[in-house]
Amino acid sequence: MMRLNELQLAELASELDEVKAGVMSQLGDKEACYIRRILLTQRLSAISGRILMVLGFLTPWLWVLGVALLALAKILDNMEIGHNVLHGQYDWMNDPVLHSQRFEWDIACDAGSWKRTHNFEHHTYTNIIGKDRDFGYGLLRLSNDFRWRLRNLWQFVTYLLLSTLFQWGVSYHELAGERVFFGKKKPDRINSVSHSDLKKAFFGKGARQLFKDYVFFPLIAGPMWLWVLSGNLVANIIRNLWTSTVIFCGHFTADVHTFTQQQCEGESRGHWYYRQILGSSNFTGPRWFHILTGHLSCQIEHHLYPDMPALHYLTVAPQVQAIAKKYGIAYNSGSFLRQYATVVARIIRYSFPGGASTA
Amino acid sequence: MNKTISLWGQNLYRQFSLMLANQPKLSYYLHPLLNWNKPGVHPDYHSARIVDFRWETDQMLSVWLEPASSWIGFTAGQHLLVTLMHQGRYISRSFSISSSAALFAQQKQIRISCRIQPQGEFTQALAAGIAALRHLSISDAMGDFVMKPNADTGKTGAIVMVAAGSGITPLWSMLSSLRCWTSPIVLFYCVKAAAQAAFLTELNQLAAKQPLFELQLIETATAGRLNLVQRLQAHTDFSLHKALYYFCGPEAMSRQYSDDLIQLGVSAAAIHTELFGLARLVSEGPVKQALFIQQGKVTTVEATAGMPLLQAAEQQGLSPRFGCRIGVCYQCVCQKKTGQVLNLRTGQISGDSPEQIQLCISAAHSDLQVEL
Repeated sequence: MMRLNELQLAELASELDEVKAGVMSQLGDKEACYIRRILLTQRLSAISGRILMVLGFLTPWLWVLGVALLALAKILDNMEIGHNVLHGQYDWMNDPVLHSQRFEWDIACDAGSWKRTHNFEHHTYTNIIGKDRDFGYGLLRLSNDFRWRLRNLWQFVTYLLLSTLFQWGVSYHELAGERVFFGKKKPDRINSVSHSDLKKAFFGKGARQLFKDYVFFPLIAGPMWLWVLSGNLVANIIRNLWTSTVIFCGHFTADVHTFTQQQCEGESRGHWYYRQILGSSNFTGPRWFHILTGHLSCQIEHHLYPDMPALHYLTVAPQVQAIAKKYGIAYNSGSFLRQYATVVARIIRYSFPGGASTA
Repeated sequence: MNKTISLWGQNLYRQFSLMLANQPKLSYYLHPLLNWNKPGVHPDYHSARIVDFRWETDQMLSVWLEPASSWIGFTAGQHLLVTLMHQGRYISRSFSISSSAALFAQQKQIRISCRIQPQGEFTQALAAGIAALRHLSISDAMGDFVMKPNADTGKTGAIVMVAAGSGITPLWSMLSSLRCWTSPIVLFYCVKAAAQAAFLTELNQLAAKQPLFELQLIETATAGRLNLVQRLQAHTDFSLHKALYYFCGPEAMSRQYSDDLIQLGVSAAAIHTELFGLARLVSEGPVKQALFIQQGKVTTVEATAGMPLLQAAEQQGLSPRFGCRIGVCYQCVCQKKTGQVLNLRTGQISGDSPEQIQLCISAAHSDLQVEL
């Protein structure tokens, strides 16, 4: 791969900025209607899903449908609504229900914690080893930039467990980074929130979510309590597996690059863009599929423009791809199954010592 | 004791709705469902159906609204915050109610009358969209620019009102709401030309019918500015000190008349003012740096003296929450961590310590750190 000089990087930045400006200057009714329609769909499927589960005594198929609808509601809430709203994509609408400063979502992770670890840490230091803790989440060895340890031998099982409990992993992520419960604090971490506030948000939000799905709704379902409890558990797990899979396909495919801290010291905006393209990967699919991923199927575009309303990622993707081609930057895209296969291969390969360093 | 229970109840409800819906109130969760066919309705406010509209003059649009039953009513002279959706985005502006208390009592309707500003985003959007709009959102009525009935009017000599331009709206609401006239009222109505005077027909009718009411129309384009004190002193059997005063118009006008009257010994308590429009300071002077911190991410904003921080932040591509943009609705309140701000409404300069500020009416007075 050719390396770009600073002049080329500046040109790259201005071309990518132009693509963004083209979309951002047109924001209006279309985007507002779209996200409100998604919000309505989410509310309808959440409420009908919870009702249908109770009606499972008529025929278990209603329970199955209810679980599917609740899982859909949770996926829409987390992906197309929550993740995008928390990036501030809809702040311009000035709607209290859709504003990043106020939004809270149906997942164990506190929104404030997410904005610090994801919006700030992950999106600023994407794939910089030692800075972006999302690369392997401190649990998985995904490139030879990390020393091999014995526990990496069974990291595929760790991965499956992480995927199943993904919302709790996400929720605990900041506390792990801050070494709230275990480990020695890293000297270079800037800490903006006290440990007691982190714990309060973690336990508070987690308890509310657990109470809702495993105490409140089963209780009001009366004799159907076990159906509702198990249905909620299944819906949460479906959502966990789905979000985890989408995210892994966005950053841990075979051709994703990582970077060292030296490479990124005092980097220009152009280099930041360059790193975002190389640090992410896209996958293809039908329109509804993109919506279910929260348009993270366009992870590259998302990383270039995290605050652009996500429905536009598909429309700018061809332009971004053309620009990447012009500057000779690899644009990593493929079918969902192919990308996922390379993720699995990557997790297994680095279970063992050695392997290539991608930085 | 009751207060403790009610606070406890509110907190319990908040916790319950956070648990159930991850929203501070359940109405936020249900809003997309309940208002799917009313896209302009804001979840914090009451919806109001647009019943009718009429152009009072070529610049002033009156809109009749039927507020939802949750809206509790108003006292003549009060204003409210009106919100509409323009190009996918909620924008708000405050207006005085221009209809009488009787209209609301009998038909559950209120009227707002808006001067369409050539540069005003809200009023332009309202004028352009009024034919297609079905609903607006309105806040509770607020403000204390109201007549205190009987208690003080009974013993006073007269009531003096001064309206400049669209400042007539709350005063006309007061006049048309009055049911028993106990003291004389004189209204000085300052407009550029009579053609731009809204409610002129109604005011003339009132003057013809009600002997205690006197209308003085001042066309400033030809007659020049009103010298209030001179006019009042020329008035026969009039005591400056016994009168009550109601001024509604630009801040400079109200301040001028108030100062004049206070100098002549009129008690400040007898003067009531309602400001229309935010006094703009000249945006010159040294540029300050404001650091906006949003979840750990720092954005540096060049804050020109006199420019509201909200506007400065928006020019830098940030989108803080906002509402009325004139310091009324407190939606843009956020935490200032260090530095001094100038309050553009009051002219007060804040201390340096952390405090809550309203972004829309605060300008940088020193370098700042603000948490969004």
